[in-house]
This record gives sequence, structure tokens and C-alpha cells, in this order.
Amino acid sequence: MIEPGRGIVFAGASSRPRWSLRLVAAGLVAVVALSALAIKLAGLQVTEGSSLAALAHENSVHRIVLEADRGIIYDRHGVALVQNSPAWNLELIPAALPFTTGARQAEIAELAALSGVSPVTLTIAVDEADPYGSLQVGPNLTEAQELALAERLPGLPGVSIARHSVRTYLYPTILGHVVGYVGPIDSTELKMLRKLGYQPDEVVGKVGVEAGLERQLRGVDGWADVVVDARGRAVRTVATHSPAAGDSVYLTIDLQLQLATASAVEAGLVRDHKKAGASVVVDPRTGEVLALVSIPGYDTNLFTHGISRAGYDGLINDPQRPLLNRAIAGQYAPGSTFKMVTAVAGLQEGKITPATLLNCPSYLTYGGWVYHNWAGYSLGYMNVAKALAVSCDTFFYQVAERVGDVTLARYARAFGFGTGKSLEMPGVEAGLVPDRIWKAISCGVPDLNSDACRWTVGDTVTFGIGQSALLTTPLNQAVYAAALANGGRVLQPTLVHEVRDSAGRVIQKLKTAVMSTVPASAFNMAAVREGMREEINRPYNMNYWFRAAGVPADGGGKTGTAQWGGSGLNLPTHAWFVFFAPFAQPDVALSIFVERGELSEVEAAPIGVQIMKFFNAHRSAIQGP
Amino acid sequence: MTGISAWRRLDRAQPLIAGVLALVGLMTIYSAGADWGRQLAWVGLGAITYAAAAWFDYRRLLALAPGIYAGMLLALVAVHLVGHSALGARRWLSIAGFPLEPSELSKLLLVVVMAALLSRAETLSWRRLGIALLMAGPAAALIVTQPDLGTTIVFTAIFAGMLFVAGARPAQILTLAAAAAVTLPLLPVLLHGYQRARLAIFLDPNSDPLGAGYNLLQARIAVGAGGFFGQGWLHGLQGQLGFVPERATDFVFAIFAEQFGLFGSLVLIALFGALLIRVLGSAAMAPDRFGRLLAAGVFVMLLVQVMENIGMNVGLLPIAGIPLPLISYGGSATITTMAALGLVQSVVRRRAWVAHQPPPAAFEGGLRPI
Repeated sequence: MIEPGRGIVFAGASSRPRWSLRLVAAGLVAVVALSALAIKLAGLQVTEGSSLAALAHENSVHRIVLEADRGIIYDRHGVALVQNSPAWNLELIPAALPFTTGARQAEIAELAALSGVSPVTLTIAVDEADPYGSLQVGPNLTEAQELALAERLPGLPGVSIARHSVRTYLYPTILGHVVGYVGPIDSTELKMLRKLGYQPDEVVGKVGVEAGLERQLRGVDGWADVVVDARGRAVRTVATHSPAAGDSVYLTIDLQLQLATASAVEAGLVRDHKKAGASVVVDPRTGEVLALVSIPGYDTNLFTHGISRAGYDGLINDPQRPLLNRAIAGQYAPGSTFKMVTAVAGLQEGKITPATLLNCPSYLTYGGWVYHNWAGYSLGYMNVAKALAVSCDTFFYQVAERVGDVTLARYARAFGFGTGKSLEMPGVEAGLVPDRIWKAISCGVPDLNSDACRWTVGDTVTFGIGQSALLTTPLNQAVYAAALANGGRVLQPTLVHEVRDSAGRVIQKLKTAVMSTVPASAFNMAAVREGMREEINRPYNMNYWFRAAGVPADGGGKTGTAQWGGSGLNLPTHAWFVFFAPFAQPDVALSIFVERGELSEVEAAPIGVQIMKFFNAHRSAIQGP
Repeated sequence: MTGISAWRRLDRAQPLIAGVLALVGLMTIYSAGADWGRQLAWVGLGAITYAAAAWFDYRRLLALAPGIYAGMLLALVAVHLVGHSALGARRWLSIAGFPLEPSELSKLLLVVVMAALLSRAETLSWRRLGIALLMAGPAAALIVTQPDLGTTIVFTAIFAGMLFVAGARPAQILTLAAAAAVTLPLLPVLLHGYQRARLAIFLDPNSDPLGAGYNLLQARIAVGAGGFFGQGWLHGLQGQLGFVPERATDFVFAIFAEQFGLFGSLVLIALFGALLIRVLGSAAMAPDRFGRLLAAGVFVMLLVQVMENIGMNVGLLPIAGIPLPLISYGGSATITTMAALGLVQSVVRRRAWVAHQPPPAAFEGGLRPI
């Protein structure tokens, strides 16, 4: 309806919009085009919406590991033995590398050149890695590499430089066998440790205290979910789980005594042209290990800071076996140092008394075989103390025969031979106390009645002087010397003085545990100890070393030159020395081992004297807080 | 115009819709972290331009057309000679310290010049078609060589669309299509490396997700992450964290869609649809052929830009540097769009007035229906 007189202004103009066919067609094109957009949008935002939203989340939210500090290892006085020092690694996220083969290969080639890894190795590593995990490329970066890489980083998508802490050992060689080292967790370790929350890229203790006290030292890594922008910069943190630093361990080791022990052993080996040796110093009152040395050692920092293939092969194939911790894992016959066991057994079993005199001929015959003394002439009649002092083999053949192999084995075990000591590091060997069953099992001959399988009287008498198949370790020997010092208590050796958590609270203190007590009267023990005192006080013999070093010969010691490598004459030998001091109230016991040592009195004993010289001079410092 | 107030002659819905779109644009630009204050100034300047263009009698443009054409060519030549480069293309002129993008303005100028040329006769002769080709050719060549793929597409669409509305016969359309079919294979030769890469990536976006395909993929992820109702204004990981490139200009729609979801996107498309219908309606109401072609040209210009921009954001069309009218950040584009709408308003103001709209007579005459 048109209102008259109001609406029409221009006469003759049409009253309606003129929608031509072409305009309508243009409008339809617009409707179709906008509808197509709407349909595409619906597909993208509703059908694919959740998966694309997940992609957006994946784009921007990343979980980063917050590395926890591993506990520090100190000596008994709080001197740090290791530190966590910063290191830089090249890391890449395979999924963030370019997708096109060409660009991807170009980037991998450049990374290989920058990090010094071969391109083939790197390609394989990238292909096998978790595409969304971070892959560590190559060893720790040098400062020059780090700078060169940092400059190139913007042109290398998916690559970052990760700062993390790396274990640096402050006394890498001298304490190498004690502290050990850490390394990346391997698949078998991961299988065992996964339950404790270990991750595939974690570092675990491999050797030494680092491994033995892994539970205390390990810091539990935290994580943070961070939102990063398109350039990889963290914008904000969505959620975090703080890292928990590991506990600090204060070892029983006295660093200065350790250094003195190491240099004493080293000097002794050099003087006598020997290659390997070991020494363990313990406190006979508590079982604390004050020094533990195995030579040759190796630089543990090589294992945390990167070692070349050739360097590693060199360590593995070195005939002197530097990786072997002889102090805990080197098993050797104790030789004459074992004679105190035979003496205690004979006395306690009533086979001899301290006053019993036995002959000491140059040889004795058992079962048709001849068994020699070290001296080619008779030393005459002597009591047990004298026999220990001159180390008469034939005297102890007779005692061993009287005691019998079964009882002797019982006493040997009571003194800690052949029983494993649970020191706080892996690889501690127990040694071996032979008996009839062991011999039958291990003879390897089908005829059980042959002498190779049957226990003979010859086995018994050589057992009595620490030969036969008897095996011990320098650690065992030190514990044995401590037991002789403290009246027969075989102590559990320990390396842990105390453990403190990251806040400094003491959460674990020194525990002194007695593994066994030797079933011997104080009277009989005193007779044996008297023999040990006599040995180091014989003029023109061992006493010379004490006088030469200005160390009072106040204590008890016993040398031993143990044959090994079969039976017969002129076999190679190892040299031993066990010692405790002072005689009245011993507060130190030690063992010295010289591999292939020929004369224990001149090769092993002087090393012990040198250690005692240092110990006497620093007794209060070592034993103080 | 006596008897009717100028106010009532205006198409009031058109500037309202444009205003809402400009507001949405400002909000989105703010959320993208771009200089929204500057864009607000451009919108203000655009509003003044709009008012001036609406007040201006569009018919005077007929006489000015040859001069406008010459000015357009001059500006495009100047870009080649003294222009600034950005992202490998020479597109910018500096006028009194302000960066100006003549190719944006040239879209509207082409519409004006084409409308003037085609309105000289009621039908489209072969001769006039040839003149149109000769006229648009040099301008297009200058833009192709900048290089500016996006504006080339808009030019082609305006040219074809206006010929269609001007009444091109099927034979003429077929001839043009055949000519295009012959020239199209030459396109890869003419295209720059990056433009060819864009085409290849459009065909397979996953071929290089961190390189040239990154933009497309990230925009698609952003749009998809919006879901039905969106992440909310100033939220949304893709846009806020910068994963979407060019997020205030070419890919502003992706940012919008991530924050406002399908719901918001459909509202936005509906707003554009309404604006386009108003402009097309203005063409239908135009008092003369020039005004009709002018409005139709603006319609094509807006439609192709909306279509191409949103289309590339959702992965429907290959990537070309085309702004989303009134939403994307940029002075030249915003002012050009508002000037174009102002001209359409100028056309509609001068339409033959018929009071076919309410109010009904009974109301005005005092005869109330009982």
C-alpha cells in the first residue's frame, strides 16, 4: 500500500529494486561461496576439532625435566670428594626436525659436523628414538662447540642446548675405586629400577660408593609442564613437581690418610718394580674403613666427562686390569698371614698350649709328599709365639694336622675368611675357605677317589699355612687384622660415617655390627698377639723398617708370601702384610697386598710402616670430628 | 530530495554491519597482540572517508574516471620505482612517512574505472570488451610483477564479475574463458618461487610442515582448536603463543576462529553475508547503470576477498596475501573498504525513492486500525 502524496518523489522512477537475472546470479554465487566456507568450518571445528585441539596442545605444552642434584660425597671430616659441575649437551626432538627428506638430512649432516658424531650414527639414533622425547646427541660439548652451536641454533629447528650437571670427581684416580662413577642407565638396570621411578635418560651409580649408595645419593627429578610459544620460549608453567635433591654421604674415609696410603703403596710398588697392589686401613673398634687403595687406578672423570673408544678399550685390555678393585675383589691366598687362625685353633682346641714346643725342620712328609719350610735348614724347637715370629711352616703343618681340616675351616670362617662383607659398594668378593665338599665339587675329574677330588692330609697342612685353595681379599685381611686387634670380634666393615639429607639433617649414623666372634679365650688370643708383636720386633728383620722410619714397633704384624698358580716349587708369589697398633689398645688395623711380591718382609711390610708413620703423626686429626 | 529527510534515504543497516565488523576486527587484532590503537585510528579515518564518499555524488566520478585511471597506473609504477619491500615483494609507498599500499586502493579504483567504462552503453560490445582488456591489462601486469598474487586474484574477479553484471554475452564469456585457459599454463612461469611453493603446499600441506606449509597447518590447527564455542576472547594456545603467523593480517580469521569457535565464525560469515546482500541490493536499487555497476563491483571486490581469505585460513583455497575486509590489520585495506562502502551509500542515497517501507499510511495519517 502506498501512501498518497508522501512516497513518490521522483516522478517516473520505478517503485521497486530492479533485480536483474545477473544480479540474482551474483547473489547466488555469494550464498554458495559463503555456504561452502560454513560447511568447511563445521568440518574443521566440529569433526576434526578435538584432534586439532590436541595438536594445538602438543604444539605448545611441553614437559621438561627438572634435574635434581645428586648427593655429594664427603670424607669423614666433610671434605667434598665430588661435585656437580655444569655441562652442555646437544639435544634434539626428532618430531620437530624438518619433515622433507632433503631438509632433514641437511640438518642432521650439520648437527653431525657440529657435534662430531658420524652422520650415519646420528641418522640411526634419530630413527630409533622416541619422536617426542629429547635425544642427546654426542658427548658433552666443549665450550667452543657450545658457542658455535648456540649461534646456529635458530636455523636448526628441533635442536636445543641442554644444560645439566655432570659428576666431577675431585680425586679421580686416588679415590676412584672407592667413590666409583655414574653413567647413563642401561636397559637391564632400567628394568630393575623402573619400579623406583627411574627414567630412561637418568644417570645411575655404576661402580663404587656411587653405585652402593645409589638409593641415598639419587636425587629424584621433578618435571614442569610449560607452555612455550612458537619460538620455543617458555611463556608460563602449567604444573610442576619439584625435584628432590639426593642425600649427602659422609664416608668413613679420611682423605689425608687415603692420600698417604695411596702414595705409600705407590712408592713401595715403584721401589720394587711391581705393578699392582692394594691396602685397606680400618678402625678395629668400629669397622670403619679409613682408607681403601687399589693400584693401578683409573681416572673416573673419563666416565662422566666422556671417554674415547680407544681410551676405553685401553682400560679394558690393560694387562694390569686398572678397573679391578683389588682391595675388595682381588682374591688371593693369604699365605703365612693365615697362621694366626691355625694358632688360635690349635690353642683353643687344646692341641697345643702357649708353652708347647714343636720342632721346626726344613721339611715334613705327609702321604708320601714332601712339604717344605721356607728355610732349607732346621730352626729347632719353638713355642707358638716364636713360630709366628719366624713364620715356621713346618710348625704349623703339625698344628694343622692335629686340629684337622674341618675344625680349621670352622675357625677360618669365624675369623671372617670366605664370608662376604657387605661393604657399601658392589663387587665385594667373599674369598674361599676350602673343605672336602668344595674339593669334591670343584675337582673336575670324574674319579672322585683321585687325589684331585679327595681331601688329603697335604691339603690340611697347606691349609694350615694359608695355601691350599684358601682365598682372601685385602678387605678381608684388614677385617681379620682388626679382629686380632680387638680380641676376636669380626666387624662388618663400613664406608658410611653418616648420611645427611639435603637440608643437612643427619638421617643415618655409623652402625657398628659384629659379624661373628672368634670362639677363643683371651688367654689364647694373647698368646697369638704376642707372636705378632715378636715378629715386628725381631732385630735385623722387620724391626729394621720401623726403626728406619722412626715408627715405634708398638703393635702386632704378620707378613705372608703366598704361592699361587698351582703346586710345586718356585711358584710365583704375592706379598702380604697385616698389622694393628698400638699393641695394648689398638685403634688401627691394616692390610697390605703386593701382587707378585716375592718377599713380604721387604716389599709389603715397609708400606705398612710408612702408613703407620703418617697415622701416628695425624692420629688425633684422623680420629677427631 | 525535498520532503524526505536525508537520514531516511540512507541504508542504515549497511554502516551498522560494517561498524560491527570493524569492532570485531579491533577485538581480534587486540587479541593477536598487534597495534590495535593504530587500527582504531585507521577505522576512524575510514569512517570519515566513508562519510565523505557517501556525501559525495558518485556520478561525478564518471568525468573523473580517466584521471583516476592515470593516477592508479602512476601509483603502481611508483611502487616499482621507489617502493619499499616486505617479505620479498615490493608493495609499499611511503607518503609523508605513512606506509601506503597502492594495490589495496587500486582494487576500488579498478571498480570505479570499470564501472565508468561499462556504463557508457546498455550492452557490452566486443569493442568495449577489448577496451576493458586493454585498460585493465597494464594495471594487472604491474601488480603481477610486484609480485602480488592476492591482488591479481581480486583484479581478475572484479574484471570478470563486472563484465558479467554488465551483460556479457555467452560468446564473450566463452572467449574470455578460452583466453584464460591459454594463459593459465603460463602462470607457473610468471609466478615467483614462493608463490609456486604456496600452490604446491596447498595441494599437499603435509609436505613441509615446518617450512612453507607451516602457515597453512598452524592456521588449520588454530581454526580446529576453536571447536564449537571457541576458547574465549584472549584465550587459545595457537594465537596467543604465536604459532599462527601473520596473525593480525592474512591469518586473522584463524585467530578469530580459535577464540570464538564455529558459533562465532558462522556469525561472522552471516555478517559478511548480510553486508554483501545490502551492497547487492544497493546495486539493484541504483538509479543508473553507473551506480549499478559501481555497487556490483564493490560487491565482487568484497566477496572475493572474504572468500579467499577465509578459504585459505581453513585450507579450502591456496594462500594468497589478501586481507579480510574490515577485520585484518592495515590502513590501506581498511580505508579502501570503507571508502567503497561509502560510495555504495552514495549510490543508494540517490535511488528512486518509493515509500514501500513502513511506516504504513494508517499510522502516519492518524487512522489507527482498531
